Order: sequence, then structure tokens, then C-alpha cells
Amino acid sequence: MAPTTLRANKATKSKANTAGAGASSSSPSPHRTTTTTTTSFTTTTTHSSTSPTTTPEAPKLKNLAVYRYATWLEENQLKKTAVWIAVAAAVLVRWTVGLGPYSGQGVSPRFGDYEAQRHWMELTIHRPIREWYSDKSKWWDLDYPPLTAYVSWICGFLGAKINPEWFAWETSRGYESADAKLFMRSTVLVFELLIYISSIVVFTQRWFAHKPWTRQHTALLLILLQPGVILIDSGHFQYNTVMLGLVVWAVNFFLADQDVLGSVAFCLALGFKQMALYFSPAVFAYLLGKSFRQGFFGCIWKLIKLGVAVILTLGLLFSPWMESKEEILQVVQRIFPVFRGLYQDKVANIWCAVNVVIKLRERFAIQDLIRFSTLATLLSFLPSLVHLIAKPTKRGLIYGLINSSLSFFLLSFQVHEKSILLPALPITLLILDEPALAALFNTLATFSMFPLLRQEELTTQYYVLLGFWVWMTTGTFKNVSTLLKFLSALNLLVIVSMHLGEMFVAPPARYPDLYAVLNSLWSAAGFVFYWAYFNYRQFTLVNTPKMGFRVTKSKTHKLA
Amino acid sequence: MQTSLFVLSTVLKVLLFPTYHSTDFEVHRNWLAITHSLPISQWYLEKTSEWTLDYPPFFAWFEKFMSIFAAYVDPKIVQIDNLNYDTLATIYFQRTTVIISELVLFWALQRMLVVMGNRPLQKIINWSLMLNPGLLMVDNMHFQYNGFLYGILVHSLVDAKQGKLLRSGILFAALLNFKHIYLYIAPSYFAFLLRAYCFENSGNSIRARSWISAFRPLNFVALGVSVIAIFAASLGPFVAMNQLPQLAGRLFPFKRGLTHSYWAANFWALYSFADRIMIVLVSKTPLGQYFNLALDESALSATTRGLVGDTAFGILPTVTAQHTLILTVLLQIPSLISVFRKPTFDRFIGSVVLSAFASFLAGWHVHEKAILLCTVTMSVAIANQVGASPNSGVNAGAFSTSDQRGSSALTPRDVRAFMIVSLAGYIGLWPLFFTRPETPIKVLITAIWFVVVGSGLDQCIPKQPKSNDTLLSSKSMLRYFSLLERLYVFGCIPVQIYVNIVHEAVFGQDRLAFLPLMMTSVYAAVGVVYGWLLYSATYFSSSKALDKKKTR
Repeated sequence: MAPTTLRANKATKSKANTAGAGASSSSPSPHRTTTTTTTSFTTTTTHSSTSPTTTPEAPKLKNLAVYRYATWLEENQLKKTAVWIAVAAAVLVRWTVGLGPYSGQGVSPRFGDYEAQRHWMELTIHRPIREWYSDKSKWWDLDYPPLTAYVSWICGFLGAKINPEWFAWETSRGYESADAKLFMRSTVLVFELLIYISSIVVFTQRWFAHKPWTRQHTALLLILLQPGVILIDSGHFQYNTVMLGLVVWAVNFFLADQDVLGSVAFCLALGFKQMALYFSPAVFAYLLGKSFRQGFFGCIWKLIKLGVAVILTLGLLFSPWMESKEEILQVVQRIFPVFRGLYQDKVANIWCAVNVVIKLRERFAIQDLIRFSTLATLLSFLPSLVHLIAKPTKRGLIYGLINSSLSFFLLSFQVHEKSILLPALPITLLILDEPALAALFNTLATFSMFPLLRQEELTTQYYVLLGFWVWMTTGTFKNVSTLLKFLSALNLLVIVSMHLGEMFVAPPARYPDLYAVLNSLWSAAGFVFYWAYFNYRQFTLVNTPKMGFRVTKSKTHKLA
Repeated sequence: MQTSLFVLSTVLKVLLFPTYHSTDFEVHRNWLAITHSLPISQWYLEKTSEWTLDYPPFFAWFEKFMSIFAAYVDPKIVQIDNLNYDTLATIYFQRTTVIISELVLFWALQRMLVVMGNRPLQKIINWSLMLNPGLLMVDNMHFQYNGFLYGILVHSLVDAKQGKLLRSGILFAALLNFKHIYLYIAPSYFAFLLRAYCFENSGNSIRARSWISAFRPLNFVALGVSVIAIFAASLGPFVAMNQLPQLAGRLFPFKRGLTHSYWAANFWALYSFADRIMIVLVSKTPLGQYFNLALDESALSATTRGLVGDTAFGILPTVTAQHTLILTVLLQIPSLISVFRKPTFDRFIGSVVLSAFASFLAGWHVHEKAILLCTVTMSVAIANQVGASPNSGVNAGAFSTSDQRGSSALTPRDVRAFMIVSLAGYIGLWPLFFTRPETPIKVLITAIWFVVVGSGLDQCIPKQPKSNDTLLSSKSMLRYFSLLERLYVFGCIPVQIYVNIVHEAVFGQDRLAFLPLMMTSVYAAVGVVYGWLLYSATYFSSSKALDKKKTR
């Protein structure tokens, strides 16, 4: 542990924050503190910063209505209730969005993601566990990892208690009723509340531990009102937030240096949705880099601990299918269905953009495409990976998560448009560190999912939530460079004109998907820009202002 | 301008588009159709749909104005025989008209902010009114145009505050011709305008001898002529067509019963509840024979059914329309006298609140939605008071003279009365939404509103120099509430959990269906009556105190 660093952090905080009179009494005088800060940066618990001054950042945020609301809360001594109000508001928004249609509502014969999830509940409660992944009923095969299956079982079990018809074997396929929808929607919301929303609350507490409370609360509100997640999970119908929430829990544990717990949480995320693999290079690099800094035996011991944790977690999740090689292969084949092609529909990644000019899918065999895309992905996240191993800082971890997930989204095989939620997660976590860029990214990401949402008639919800997000975050563009202001304005202009065009001008008969293609091209260009920008940021992180994290609070006091 | 308030309320209201809409949606669609496709002579005669036009003529004109756009959006909306037409486009259109019409309220609130002083207290009241769970539930879910109408009312009240009494009177007369429910508070307006506008108003009471010299005939004529002109514009055509009796029959359907489909949270809810209890006691226990009470068998099934119609009581005496009218007037008179003696805006707004309460509590066939009349006018009354700015130092209680403007300081009692009446009244609206998907919405918007507005108002109460330390050190928003009041607030939780969840799980949907409704109504009625008593006590004690100061 590094007591000196912690003391230094505390003292700097008390220096910056004149109100924190309590903290200054327990720490040495500011004069001595500056000297300790400069000597303490080699320890493992700190992150990349050596600059001893925290610039007062609060005035920057005054343009944000959310920030003014947080200030009002603080003035009215509502800090304790505020979190509950925020959570209640988040639930209210999600529930009202949930009143809209879900994916594949009334679309016979295959329906959509809603029916897939419902069918998995039906499947898991009626079939023995070993047949879950080998069921041959040709109806929405279970193709998510085991934790999804277990969660489906819980939901199905409870749902069947309320009304067995919803999940009756075979007869319930394509079953739709208002009550069933209500039940399914509430399962999403309950899991989101327990895992995602709670993780965000804890994240803001840890990330902004040494910052004014108002900033922490502003970040909480903004992250909870991120439009993409709400539209996909509560509107389209999926359980992404369970996976995203587990990833944030992993980050929360890493922030508190509880690396074993963090890797368990991350394995659970992987075990819920294989898409969490997008984050794995960064997590791997961070943990590896951190282990290297423990000395030889420390490193080995840490690697053993982490390895055991990972193997145990994944082993437990997959244990029902471990009896034979065929069984486990069957599960893996279901989870990674490579035969589906390079990408689905129109997705805003590089392959889809290139495909406009060169018809990749017709020209190359699927095996070549897999190999090629995997190599490209690997090359694209490699710089960030190497940097993170060399400098495993906590801030760097978040940037690493962004870079690896963006690489996967842009270049990997079989990407859905909804996968943009993965890079959007760590970027949104930086909403007050990179306010303008994070805001802009979410606008673009939500826009990139518009073709999907339009198909599901969630356009009203989309316009309202996206409009609200743009309005909420316009304040972040006050103090940024002209270039960024211009980009943001251009982005809005393009989005608005494309929506207007789609509303009033029919696409030419030769290109019926014109608007969807334009959408994916514009978004892909934006995402490539973001990939470059965040790689650049990760490598220049040293200059960022000091971040303080609350690390094992009780110990600090004793040592101080 | 409060841009954030505008954006937030619009966003929330649009998100509420897909929520359940009641038959009132079809009522208004039908009115669009009637006013669009029929000549004015047929408006109050048409009865293809059971939802005949039963609002005054100005509202009909308002519908006719909207129907121009409706016909453009979808001509089928304005077909009279196209009953229960609710396509997505129709819903979006009608819900949008509600949001747009509520800009009148937003405008009125912005004016109020300027006139009453742009301080934290007034801002909170603006937020509270624009994002009011009552208005959200009734207008944006259930479907009505109350935000628009209350906007006119607030405009009129703000005019009165500014001293533009003629305009205030004209607006109120127009409001009466939009929706006649505002007759509930008409006595206060009458007393105030007569005394403050038609007589010399120097702020003092007039001695008996000088009444004649204080009379201002010009003002009297101006007010009289303009009010008559408004009514002539509204009712004139129908008088000319000899349809006045028909119109009156539509507007005042006294054939309906004492209570609405489920009981509004007023005296009659408590009265009916007492009757139910006594019926059970008489029929199940020997008490009835002991007291020699007779049971009216025919009444047994009437109130329990919860249908619109005549209400019959089993044991307690039957209440007639005349009884309710006399009781209402009796309850209104004290505050009217107080306004007439000294017509300040403070007394006027308090009297408007008390008139609204009297009509709501004792009126004939009162809708549960009428509670909005009490809570909205109470909000304006609070906005008229002077509050402290939070954290403005030791002297938070001592406001400068420029702030006073003749208004009194906000007291804990005002806040308690307001919060309890609002909570009770809005929970009393919950049974309007019996569909399951709406349950979390109604609970969440009410709870969020209660916590945010409650704590905000709590911080605006100027600190009393002599108040004890426990009060100041406590940060709970309920610190000024008495034990019983706290019990009431927290008691809502178990009662509503039973009503919304447990009851159906235990008894199913059909058995004892009236029990949860009755529980909600009675529980809410207790709160409303209590809040009314508290408010009356504050009103009359403060006006007495002011009088004493003068005589000294």
C-alpha cells in the first residue's frame, strides 16, 4: 500500500476545496504535502499523474442544466435523497419507454429479440440443463453464454408461477399478451436496477471520490440518461445492461484495487454475453501490467490468484456441460455462430462501409474474412494494449476499454449495430472528463441505431430521448475548441437533415436502403475518428489532471 | 424563462403518449367531430355518442379551432359516427394539442415568476405546477385540457396580484365559459372584485357610514359590462336559438348522484364510509336491534357497485343536492366576509383556496379531479408568500422590506397543509389508472414530486429565531410535521401496497372490487379534510392577527 500517496491526495483535495475543513486537520500542512506528492508516483495504487494542483473545474459545468440541478440539491441538503430521486427518475424514463413496442412485436412468424428471450425462458424451465445448448427445435436457439441461460431460468420460473401459459412448452411460441410484456419488461428493469444502475452509482462515488459532490451527481444523472442503453434495453428489448453493469462492477473493483473481485465480475459479464470479449484485451492488459509491477514473486502470486479466479468463475458457469468434449464444443459453437456472416444488416463499421465499394462477402470466402477481420482487430487494439501493459493506470484502463471495444466494433467479425453500446459505455463513464466528446459520441451512437429503432416503431421515443440528450449536453460545448464545436454542429446538421430527408423525400427505387447506408457511412466515419482520438488520448494521458480514488479508506486513517 | 422546466416537462409528456387514455379521450374526439361537422345550433342537441358536449360554449369553440387541424391530420377524427376512433395518429394528435395548450400554463407561470418575485420559492412552485403529478395524470395520461384552463386561472390571479382587476375579472369570466367547474371559486372572485374594484380601496376597512361615498360607479359599470359581454358572446347565440334550458341541462346534470363513480376524497366519502361501517355493524352484530336502527335493504348494493347514479345510504339520512349546496355556501361565507372586509390579495387568494375546498369537500357529484383546483390555487397562495433562500446565512429569516410587498412569510403550517393535501389528493387520483403498466408511473411521478417539492419548500421556510435546535439540526423534509402527520404520510405506503398489489393477489380481480377503491378514497379524504382544517386555521388566525395590529 502507499500511505504517502493517499495522504498527498487527501491534502491536495483539502487545499483545493476550502470547505473541506475536516480533512485538513488530519493531514499535514499543504507545504509539506507538495513534496510528498512528487515522490510518491512510483507506487502501484496511483495512476499516471504527477501534477500536484487540482484546477477548480466546477465553473466549466455551469452551462449544464443537470449541474445546476445538482447544485440546487446540495444547497437544499438533499444529497442523501438525491441518489434515490435520480434512480427513480431513471426507472420512470425506462418504464415509459417500455410502454412502446418491442422488437418483433406482432411480426409473425419469427418475431424478434423479445421472442428469443421469452423462448429461452421457456426452454430453460422445460428442458434438462444439459440439453439447453443442444435443443433442436429450430426456434431461436440459445446462443448466449450460460449466465444468460441461468437468468432466463429464474425469469421463466417466476413467470410460470404467475401464468404458466406465457412459458408453456412449444405452445407458447410467439405468445404475446399485455401481461406477458409487462412481466418481461419488469424483469429487464429489475436486473438493470440491481446490476447496472447500482454499478453506475458506485462508479460515480469512486471515480469522483475527491471531487465535489455536485460533479459526482451530474455524472450520475448523465450516465443514467444515456439514450442508447434505454432505447435498446427498455425499448427494443434486451438484457445488455446486465452485461454492461457487470463490466462497470469490474471497473469499480479495479478502482478500489480489488483485482480478484474485479476479474470475477468481468468473467460473469463474459458469461452473460460473449460481446464482453470486446473489453477483454484492455482488462487483460491492465491486470497483466499491474502484476508486472509487483516484483517477481508478487507478480507470480498475483497471476495465480487472478488465474484461479478466472478459471473457477468460468468453470462454475460452464460446469453443467463439462462432461465431454462434444458437449462443450456444442456450447461454444452456439455462442460463436461464425456462419452468420461478416456483419448484420447495416452496421456502422469499416466492413460495411468498405462493402459499399467492394462487395467483400461475395468476393471472399467466409474463412478468409474471419482470419482477415481478426487480424485487423488485433492490429487495431495492439497499440492501446501495449501501452496499458506498460502503464497500467486506472484512467488508462478506461481509455483501454474504449479503444479495444471500438476496435472490435469497427473491425471484428459479425458485429451488430447494437454493439455500439459497448464502446459507448466506457466513453459515457468519462462524461465529465471528456464532456463534449462523450456527449457527441452518444449522439452519434444513438443515431447509428436509428434504422433498427425505426423498424420497431420506436421513433417517438428515439427522437425524444436523443433530443433531450442533445439539449442536456449542449452546455459541454461552451469551453471547447472551435473545431469540436464545428464537428458537433456538423454532426447535428447531418443527423437532422437525414431525418428530414427520410421523412419527406423517398429514396430512389434503385437504392431503397439509401438512408440506412448513409447513416452507417456517416456513423462509421465518426467512430473511426473516435478510435484515433482515444488512442491519441491514451498515449498522452500523463498530462491529465490528478485523479484521486478512494482506496481502502479505513487503512488510510490509521496510517495517517 | 425557465427553459429547463419547459424542456423537461415536454419530454416527460411526450414519453407519456403511449400510456392508457380514458374515455375522456373519446369524449374530446367526439367534441372535435361535433364542433367540426355540425352547425352551432346542433352542438348541444347532438347525441350520437353517449359523450355529449357538456362544457360551456367557449370550450366548444376551442374544440372547433383544434378540429381545423384535426381534419388536416386525419379527416376520420372529425366524423361524428366514427366512435371510439383511436389510431396512433389520432392519439398523437390529441395528446400534442394538450401539450401545446399547456403552454398557456407555462406562460402564466413565467408571468407569475416576474410578478411574485423571482426567488427560490417561486421557482419551486413553478416546477411543482408544471410537473404536477395531478396535471400529468389527468391531462397527459387520463386525457383532459386542465393545464390550459388552469393557465387562464393563474393568468387571472397574477393580474389580480398586479392590481389589474378588470382584466382579472374578464379572464375569470372567460374561464367560467370554458369550464363551469370554476364556479366553485366564483364567490371569492365576486366578493373580491366587488369590494376591491367597485369600492374605494385604500387598504383599510370602510366605516359603515362611508360605503356610499366609497362606491365607484364607473368601475362597477366597466366590470359589469365586460363580464356581461363575455357571457353574451358565449351564451348569446344559444339564448337567441332558445336553447338555454337545453344547454343548462347538459352543463348541470343534477340527475347524477352525490358521489362520482368512485368516491372523491371529500366529506361524502367519509359519510358513505361511515354508512358502510354501520351497515356491517347492523347486519352482522346485534348492535342494530339495540339501537333500533332500520336498514334500507335497497341501498345495500347501490354504493358498493361504484357506478354513476343515485347514491343511497343504508342507515344514515340521504343527502340531497340542496343540502350540499347549503353546506358549501356555509363553508365559504367566513372567508368571503374576511375578503370583503379587507380586500388584500393575500386574503383573496386564501379565500379562493377555501372556496375551492368548500366546494370540493361538500359539493354535489364532485369529481376526484377537482382536487386540482385546491392544490393549484394553494400553490399560487404559497408563491405569493415570502420564502427564505436556502443557505443564505444566519439572517435567512429576516428579509428586506423591498421583498415584503405586503405578503406574509411562508410558515411551516402552509407547507404542511399543502403537502398533505397534495399527497392525499394525488393518491386519490390513482384509481383513475387501474391498468397495470401505469401503476409504476403514477407511483413514481407522485413520489418524486413529493420528495423534491417537499424538501424544496421545507428549505424555503424562513428560520424562526426561537425555534429549537432539534428542528434546525434535523435535515429531514418532514421535520416540521407532527407525529400524526408523519404517520399519515408514511401510512400511504402500506395502504397503497395493499390496494395495488396485495388485494388482487388475495381476492382476485372481481371479488370485493370496491374495497381498495374505498380504502384509497377514505384515506385520501382524511388527508384532504385535515389539510383543509390546517389551512383554515392558518388563514383565520393570520387575518385576525393582522386586524389586531391595525387596531393597536
